[in-house]
Amino acid sequence: MLLQFLINALSLGSFYALVALGFSLIFGVTRAFNLAHGELVLLSGYLGYALSKYLHVPFLLTLPICMLCLLFVALLLHRLLRRVQEPIELNTLVITFGLALVLQNCMLLFFSANYRLIPCTGAPFELSWAQCTVTRTQAMLIALSLLATALVYILLWKTFLGKALRATIQDPEAARLAGIHVGRMSLIAFGIGGMLIGLAGPLYGRTAYLHPFGGTEATLIAIIITIFAGAGRVRSILLGGWLLGSVESLAIFTLGASWRDLVSGVLLIVLLLLTPEGWLPRQAKPSR
Amino acid sequence: MMKRKPDLSPVLMLVLLVLFLVWPLFAKEAVLYFRVMGMACFYGALAFSWNLYALTGAISLGHAAFFGLGAYGSVLANHYWHISPYLSILLGGLMGAVYGFFWNITFRNLRGARFALATLASVEIPKVIIDNWDTFTFGSLGLVGIPPLPSLELGGAVLAFGKSLRAQYYFLFLFMLLIGCIHKRAITSRWGWAIRSIREDEVAAATLGVDVAGTRFQALMLSAFLTGLCGGLYVHLLGLVEPALVFSLHLSALPLVLSIFGGRYQFYGPLLGALILYPVDQFFFHSWVPVGHAALYGLVVIAALLFFPRGIGAWVQQRMKYAWN
Repeated sequence: MLLQFLINALSLGSFYALVALGFSLIFGVTRAFNLAHGELVLLSGYLGYALSKYLHVPFLLTLPICMLCLLFVALLLHRLLRRVQEPIELNTLVITFGLALVLQNCMLLFFSANYRLIPCTGAPFELSWAQCTVTRTQAMLIALSLLATALVYILLWKTFLGKALRATIQDPEAARLAGIHVGRMSLIAFGIGGMLIGLAGPLYGRTAYLHPFGGTEATLIAIIITIFAGAGRVRSILLGGWLLGSVESLAIFTLGASWRDLVSGVLLIVLLLLTPEGWLPRQAKPSR
Repeated sequence: MMKRKPDLSPVLMLVLLVLFLVWPLFAKEAVLYFRVMGMACFYGALAFSWNLYALTGAISLGHAAFFGLGAYGSVLANHYWHISPYLSILLGGLMGAVYGFFWNITFRNLRGARFALATLASVEIPKVIIDNWDTFTFGSLGLVGIPPLPSLELGGAVLAFGKSLRAQYYFLFLFMLLIGCIHKRAITSRWGWAIRSIREDEVAAATLGVDVAGTRFQALMLSAFLTGLCGGLYVHLLGLVEPALVFSLHLSALPLVLSIFGGRYQFYGPLLGALILYPVDQFFFHSWVPVGHAALYGLVVIAALLFFPRGIGAWVQQRMKYAWN
């Protein structure tokens, strides 16, 4: 029973970490608040759904296709947000809020308001010695999320490009002075973020029902974990994802599934109140 | 050139006012136009209410919370106590103000993007509670058959606000005018100057003796109360209510989009946005793409922030100035 709960929380939490990773990378490097993050995840999910339903593409093949498509979408978003004037955070927030509205209505137009699920094939793994089951979706969720997280971790902490990215997250001005091409860094951040979103989408479509207005929740989750962990801190993001996954599983278990949104809403408000100085590492001047 | 402008604008306002009051008398059977222009006025009022707080520099993404609480406050008071919709709408406004009070306590130290995020999250709290409290609020199914605004008898004349769409248009127009006057005072009065100084620089404003916390508190309470009123009015116009309808992202976004598009710093800006965008949405966009027509508002706010962040009104004014000089 406990083990089953832990497996559920682990798979949900790993997925949350995957969703948050893209958001936090983009936010950290470019200071752009992408409120359309959840909608982009949904878009990728719908793309995966369409591919598997109409073109009968096998699920594992939809992942790279979605990643490639969302990479381009993210680069377009980068071009859009590059033109935003000061104050960056607030203006990107409002612009991506508008973008979220556009995406919601486009998805409503093309996929209607019905709930969609990417069908799952194959029997679940029965762990008879522990009396619990791991569905194929859960196994895939855990494996792919951990793989993606590990890759991003290696990129950020073991390569020279990662060093430059981290420097930009810490202080864009100082990074520029040190000779780092900040514009290129934000392009790379959007690229990686887009691929992470593309990966998360079809996985979302398999674990939860796709609905055009369901994106806000994913955005809130990404923001919560980013605030909890700090931008671009991969290990903390994974931890935050697991914690949030456990808290939400617990809330669903004790209160019922309909109270889940309340948990994420209250958590976000509490986290915002607890971190009044901002959540970027060592900010030069406190944001007002 | 600059001297003559203040002399002209009251005349222009008066002409527009008369135009708005008179056109329904000549259009006899234009029911659709009454409906759409009435709702445009309604959304103008909503945008005014939102902008009251946005004038202090705080962009809220969560006014749907006030709207929804106002809607449910009015509907439930009407359902359980059978009081007149006019009273219950006021009660709905008070519900909004109560939640505004909570905002004021909890979000006191949040500014900018952090405040916006907190407001976005705070919509979920009343929404989920109302969604789950089946015995009292009828849960996610909501209520149907909410009574329309009852007719009033004023010196022999019957004002059927619920039945005649023309009377409803006048009602909504006057409602908008009332909130518009409050909004104008929030820009031009001494209190408005205090608000503006807070927006520009809080520390400097406090140094000059402006009561920063108090002014923000007043603006938020007023904004929350008026948004609650709009919510209460909305459900009596529509006749049904459900959590997903009145606590929607769309209703949080709409006043923001209208205000930013029309111009957040002019007293007429939010109304201008509503009068342009809502009819365009209903007459053209809605017939073109019936399902996803609200995408227009998203596109508009993106374009507005990129190309004319001070609003279409200021943008046109600037262009005119260039054209004349």
